[in-house]
Amino acid sequence: MMETLELASVVLQDGSGGISGQAAAAIAVGLGALGTGYAQSRIGAAAVGAVAEDDDMFVPGLIFTALPETLIIIAFVTIFLVGN
Amino acid sequence: MKVRTEGSSNYEYVSARVRSRKRKLFDGDDYRKLVRMEPGEIARFMEETEYETEMNALGTRHSGVDLVEYALNRNLAKHFDDLLTWAEGPLYDYIVNYLRKFDAWNVKTAVRGVYTDAATEAVETDLIRTGEFPDRLLDRLVEAGSIEEVAEALSTTIFGDPLAEAMSDFENEGVLVPLENAVDRAFYTHLMDELGRSVPNSPEGLYGEFLEAEIDFRNLRNALRIARSGVDIDPAEYHIEGGGLFDPEELRQLATNVDELVERVRASTYGDELATALEELAAADSLVGFERALETALLEYSSKLSNRYPLSVCPVISYVLAKEREVENVRAIARGREAGLSVEEIEEELVVR
Repeated sequence: MMETLELASVVLQDGSGGISGQAAAAIAVGLGALGTGYAQSRIGAAAVGAVAEDDDMFVPGLIFTALPETLIIIAFVTIFLVGN
Repeated sequence: MKVRTEGSSNYEYVSARVRSRKRKLFDGDDYRKLVRMEPGEIARFMEETEYETEMNALGTRHSGVDLVEYALNRNLAKHFDDLLTWAEGPLYDYIVNYLRKFDAWNVKTAVRGVYTDAATEAVETDLIRTGEFPDRLLDRLVEAGSIEEVAEALSTTIFGDPLAEAMSDFENEGVLVPLENAVDRAFYTHLMDELGRSVPNSPEGLYGEFLEAEIDFRNLRNALRIARSGVDIDPAEYHIEGGGLFDPEELRQLATNVDELVERVRASTYGDELATALEELAAADSLVGFERALETALLEYSSKLSNRYPLSVCPVISYVLAKEREVENVRAIARGREAGLSVEEIEEELVVR
């Protein structure tokens, strides 16, 4: 048990192995963008359907389509936290 | 005929559109207004709603209640064809299979038309030109002079063989029940074939669940109708496969005893949904009331499924049912007013959510 913990702390703290902070941030942002895209594709399809039936749905549709943007915006913060 | 389209289903797009359209259907207020109108007023009211295009297109050729009815059918066909243009992938297949119910409707209309010696135009008005049959086949059905001719024209479709088999029963009994059931059975058998094995809670599973409910309800209704009409027909022979509630043997026993049938349904999974319907049947002893309550229950069940599983075929089915109901309601109102029925009598006939 002790050995596992030591190993974990070494892996987590030792910056020399694995990838650099900048690369990790890039992966984080990239994955966040993928998630956003997946969510938006489905919400966007529904929003377009709703707008096609009823023009008043344009604004609500736009808001719901833009909601998953929060994912990528939060992922963007990672760059400033670990990127430098 | 199996149409397989490429790609995955676009449930999001289709259910968004379908839900929006469902919300625009007539509600209780509209019906209250409609019931109190004269036939001419109904036509004018319809011109200001969803049915405007159809009313204007048909207004020069027809008038009065016929115009209303023609416009209703054409509008229905238009909306259901729209569903097929939007849907992709497996969703398309489900919808196409379900809409084959209108082929069944058209076949039944043609058979009834021949049976009652109705005029060609009258039959024509009642056809709904959506579903699988091409227009040419429908025209042949309308022109058929005997039931044999109808069966002959349908020989290449899924309805051909069942109709031919039911023909001897029809000739012996002289009632339409055998033929109409043959049509229904052909439709439902085919529907379940396409489904195959289903996974619970997947879109396919839900579709199966809903179809099972519909088949159960239909079996129930048929059993009661046969029991009430007093014709000496074995209910088990008209059992539609695929339901979860009865098997043929049970149906035969229960059809003779309405009380037991009611108890049986109350104890089943549909007990809650059908509670009001069952009470009506037990109390008023009226088959018409029960059938209407059954329709309402099916409508509610489909809405419930569509709320519980929004990304599945359920919203579409729920819309199809609701739209059909609307068309039938408006038709009942128009015909009822024309025949001079009172407001209360017509309201009895309506199925409102």
